[in-house]
Amino acid sequence: MKQRAPLQSACKSFEEDLVLYYYGETDEVEQRRVQQHLSQCVSCQGFLDDLRRWLPQIAKSEPMAPAFWDDYYRETVTKLARQEERKHWWRALLAPRPMWMVPAFGTVGVAILVVGLLFGKGNLSSFIQRPAERIPQEILADENQLQFFESMDLLESLGKLEKQDDPSTDSTSSQSIRVRMQQDIV
Amino acid sequence: MADRQELRDEELVSLCQQGERQCFEILVRRYMEKAFHIAFNFTRDAETAKDLSQDAFLRAFANIKQFDGRSTFYTWFYRIVVNLCLDHARRHNRVTWESLDRLSEEPGEQRQLADSTFVPEQEAIAGEAKRKADQTLESMPNKQRTAFLLRNHQGLSIADIAKVMKTTEGTVRVYLHRAVAALRQSLMEFV
Repeated sequence: MKQRAPLQSACKSFEEDLVLYYYGETDEVEQRRVQQHLSQCVSCQGFLDDLRRWLPQIAKSEPMAPAFWDDYYRETVTKLARQEERKHWWRALLAPRPMWMVPAFGTVGVAILVVGLLFGKGNLSSFIQRPAERIPQEILADENQLQFFESMDLLESLGKLEKQDDPSTDSTSSQSIRVRMQQDIV
Repeated sequence: MADRQELRDEELVSLCQQGERQCFEILVRRYMEKAFHIAFNFTRDAETAKDLSQDAFLRAFANIKQFDGRSTFYTWFYRIVVNLCLDHARRHNRVTWESLDRLSEEPGEQRQLADSTFVPEQEAIAGEAKRKADQTLESMPNKQRTAFLLRNHQGLSIADIAKVMKTTEGTVRVYLHRAVAALRQSLMEFV
């Protein structure tokens, strides 16, 4: 599969000049000197041929599709626009304003202050003057519940009386307690 | 806008410096392929090359007012691209070996069918040599690689490469020779 193409060695003293000669980077004097040497040296001719054969191969690249470049250009331009926007957002805020805007801004500011004081003060006074003595409905409901629990205590006492109805206990004394309790309830 | 397309780089840059972004868009159109290919030569990955080269345009535009015209626009811009590529290489320290041939497989196949002189074996050898050369390039010191890619792949003159790399022409000549010698060595092993 591999094709043998051994690279040629050049004369040591001419190697660098040959590289520069290949790239067209020699002046006229050097160029003549190299050309003269090449006409006599087979190795250096081979070396130069190798450079001519391999170096363009290394640099070769397939062209990208036109669509790639269109996308590339569009993306770059969009990024540039975004970068410019980011760079200048604060300048818009600090940009010098026309002279007529100074009294206009002042008037608007005073108006906002006046409106704020008027309405703000009204709200504040109504908050301060809220009657503290007014009892909320929740507390009143709790008061009714307290009365309910008091009557519950009485019922509990009746339960105790029933226990005392037991025959083992003294009937007269229990009877007298029951009468007393019923009177309490009434 | 159409007549602006004819303006020289420096004239467009001057208009950009006065706030005309549209002029920079002409420079994008003019240099996008070269910028992308430099980045691709360094990274061997199309998406990364696209991001890096676009980033180079953004940086160039952001710093356009600092361009003082002492060098040409393209050497100034190439320097930005190369620096971004070298930074990326330093950060990732690794190259993915994706070739442009694989990215555009379809056009390649069409070319093969259309070209009656196409020889698959020669193509395979050339492809393998290119792959080997790419690996050698990746293992090269950055300065040698940069000098070689800019001369061999981008066609910049040694004088311009010296400006891009901010070094002397003599140093670039040495880098170039060393890079070619290293490549030759690797290709010798290959054949």
